[in-house]
Amino acid sequence: MAEIFDIIVLVIRNFILVLTIFIFTAYVVLAVYSAFTLRNYIRKNSYVDYNSLVLSPLTPSVSVIAPAYNESKTIVENVRALLSLYYNNFEVIVVNDGSNDDSLDLVIKAYDLEKVNYFFDYRIPCKRIRGVYKSKNKSFKNLTVIDKVNGGKSDALNAGINVSRNKLIVSIDVDSIMEPDALLKMVKPFMEETDKKVIGTGGVVRIANSCEIVGGQIREIHLPKSFLARVQVLEYTRAFLMGRMAWSRLDGLLLISGALGMFDREVVIKCGGYSTETVGEDMELVVRMRRYMAEHKLEYVVTYIPDPLCWTEVPENIRVLGRQRNRWTRGTAETLIAHKRIFFRPKYGRFGMLGYPYWFFFEWLAPLVEFLGLTYFFLFVVFSSPNWPFVILLFSFVYTFAVSLSVWAVLFEEMTFHKYERKRDVLKLIGTAFLEPFLYHPLTVVWALKGNIDFLLGRKNWGKMERQGFKMPQRNKK
Amino acid sequence: MSNRRKHIIPARLSAMLIFAVFMPFTYSIVFAQEDTIAVPELNESFRVADSLATVMMQVYKFEDYDNLIRRGDWAFRSNQFNKAIEFYERALQLQPQQEYPREQLRLISKKTRKTILDYMFPSVSFEKSSTLIQALMVVIIYSTISMILLLIYILFHRNKLQKLDKLKQELKEKYQTKLMDYLFDVENSTDVIDKINAVAKDSFKRVILADEMKDLMVNLSGDAADRMRDLYYKLNLDVDSEMKVFSYKWHIKVKGFRELAFMNIKRVNEEIVSCLQSRNPIVRMEAQLALVSLNDEDRFSFLDNIKRPFTLWEQINVHEMIVAHNLEIPDFSRWLNSPNRTVILFALRMIKVFDQKAVWEKIIPLLENEDVEIRNMSIFVLGRLKIKEALPHFKHIYKSETYENCLAILQAMRNMPDELVINFLKLVLDKEDDVQLQIEATKAIYEIGEVGEQALEKLMNSDYKNYQIIIKHVLDKRI
Repeated sequence: MAEIFDIIVLVIRNFILVLTIFIFTAYVVLAVYSAFTLRNYIRKNSYVDYNSLVLSPLTPSVSVIAPAYNESKTIVENVRALLSLYYNNFEVIVVNDGSNDDSLDLVIKAYDLEKVNYFFDYRIPCKRIRGVYKSKNKSFKNLTVIDKVNGGKSDALNAGINVSRNKLIVSIDVDSIMEPDALLKMVKPFMEETDKKVIGTGGVVRIANSCEIVGGQIREIHLPKSFLARVQVLEYTRAFLMGRMAWSRLDGLLLISGALGMFDREVVIKCGGYSTETVGEDMELVVRMRRYMAEHKLEYVVTYIPDPLCWTEVPENIRVLGRQRNRWTRGTAETLIAHKRIFFRPKYGRFGMLGYPYWFFFEWLAPLVEFLGLTYFFLFVVFSSPNWPFVILLFSFVYTFAVSLSVWAVLFEEMTFHKYERKRDVLKLIGTAFLEPFLYHPLTVVWALKGNIDFLLGRKNWGKMERQGFKMPQRNKK
Repeated sequence: MSNRRKHIIPARLSAMLIFAVFMPFTYSIVFAQEDTIAVPELNESFRVADSLATVMMQVYKFEDYDNLIRRGDWAFRSNQFNKAIEFYERALQLQPQQEYPREQLRLISKKTRKTILDYMFPSVSFEKSSTLIQALMVVIIYSTISMILLLIYILFHRNKLQKLDKLKQELKEKYQTKLMDYLFDVENSTDVIDKINAVAKDSFKRVILADEMKDLMVNLSGDAADRMRDLYYKLNLDVDSEMKVFSYKWHIKVKGFRELAFMNIKRVNEEIVSCLQSRNPIVRMEAQLALVSLNDEDRFSFLDNIKRPFTLWEQINVHEMIVAHNLEIPDFSRWLNSPNRTVILFALRMIKVFDQKAVWEKIIPLLENEDVEIRNMSIFVLGRLKIKEALPHFKHIYKSETYENCLAILQAMRNMPDELVINFLKLVLDKEDDVQLQIEATKAIYEIGEVGEQALEKLMNSDYKNYQIIIKHVLDKRI
């Protein structure tokens, strides 16, 4: 009996240690790999003239699909911003997902819309379509508004895909702000590959809290004033510039952010569109598309652009943020479980051998292991006498490593796009990096744990998301 | 007082008393009076001595026992249970009747019995994991130093960038003035060249000078352009550009291509041609663009040499070059039989863009090409060029085509409406279950004109399938 206990304890302790070593090593390797990839991208991009793309008759056509649910505060402005994107061959499809407010009426009024005799082809199943609207004004001829019964974001996106007639589709949150040249940058990878089919492209999502927005466009970029939003700037920078960049190069990218992603429409339809069974529909779609391509032995690639293409508002309220993270965790768990057969299967290439296991161990299990470790430590303090010098040393190691990783992320941002022009902003960001491990990180662990519990309990709700609304310049407020 | 003490102290005291009283007496009997004592008395003496020895042994045993118990207790208090067990067991051997060591051994057994918690939370020794500690220390030191250095670097990097931008701007303005002087003050041009040479000494300044000349060159033509080119040679910047082409760094190479193309320097064209097969897509594309600029005799001959895929992105850039520089448009049908499928696709696209209708007969065979994308593009191009001769071919291949190509055929028919295909389109509408195909067929019927509209009216009255909804959809011009 004693030996068995000894073995169990040894396994648990070593698992935590090994996983920690792997996580830290993976972070370093990914960061280094990202650095080289980023440098290469920036250099290559300096020779690209996107204007040639705007003028060319050869550019592929794109459908921008924006699902909207109770967005009456911002919908008119946001649709205007989408219509003014810098691209020559695109349509905007706004899907009113059964809003309870006057979103639809506002859009109808603002863009002079009327119901058309649209024959709706349910190629991907979705909730009933109440009507399709087009503008009487020729200036808005590339705008289509779909009014449908509420079915959630995935369902709304599926309805939009059914209506779109273009080869490429872009899914975007209607409250996100796209950079004017975002479509040009996203479409480029689709035109660069010939041996492999590009099935999806993602870009960097930036945080718009405290930024000045005029006419649905970012006019002045500021670092968020709230600590909670600022710490998410660091999180996003680390994730997008240090993680996804490398994963894209390693062909192991599993997630294209729901805030902005471009996909090959036919592949999406063949895969059955967005899943309405999960709250992590963005990740699930990418995994399913990759799986579809691999199982049909089709050469494919999922690409990623480090340029900031889209700005979004992040929660500044702990409760709302907690709900969001809870949902993300459930989404990750649902997707990983639904596609468990990919796990370490050479058939799926690096996606199965590298990308999926990374997400499984480091994105899904890591917070749980961290929670297990912390619980173990507290019990240790209660039931035994920890070696305090060692504890302090271990803590210092984790802390300095975490902070230095964040500072590296700030450097990446500085060397590439340096969107925060004021020195004060950079100093604030670094200051936030020092506080993050104490004030914010424990919360993320708790949220992840709660998300996993909710996942086990089979909870599927999205949770109410309250938005602060973007900052408008003073004169516009009048 | 403990149970142990109760036994030991009286035993020790009595032994000492016996020893103190009987020792002098025994000594006097055995040694001092040996000659005078009778045998019975001697025997009595020995008996007493034996008793004394036994008592002494007992006393020593008590002494050892006491010692072991004390050491055992000390080990017990220090949680060194293995040692304590050893001492108590030895004490028991000396005094088996004693209860105290037994009780202690029971207590130790109870204490050392491991629970799950004991297994889960073993005491950790700091000294045991020196390698781990060293590793942790290294990471801590590295992380701390890197944090400080990065912070300093980030802050200084901003200042450096600002200064560099300012310097570049100053130099650009300076060179611009001098270059203008050179272009428009012909008489003093030699002086100006000397002055430019004097200021553009190091490589950094020469790069900015070359860039500035390139920027100016965009807006120059005729004599002014020739003079600028001449100056480029005189300042030996052409040599710099050529050197760049031979650089092993791709971004320098690409810069060289661009400079040579701008200044129309053709001496290293062969090197540029070799870069058409480069693995680096930027090098490949820039080589293509440079050759379109530099190869006056046959600007598009590079299409004959492309072995790698000619991506849509590259095609767009070449097309943009043709339009921007108003280049002479070749007969693109020349590449319709290229071994490179992407070159065929480019040729088809260019035929459509530049409306080269005359070559339609060369496109028709491509409808039978084994590459699905080439077939799709051929259908699309023929439709856009409104080549009605292709309609029978479309009807012929429709059944064997992929879904996407069937859609393309119907769209092409819609682009060149003809009564000849109305029955075919009605058949499609009737037989196909796919809504998109039905919609496209209906649109094509509608585009035919009066005959088409009449046909649709008839269908509207039919209850069969979704005709009414589809036709309403097609007739709604707002969609």
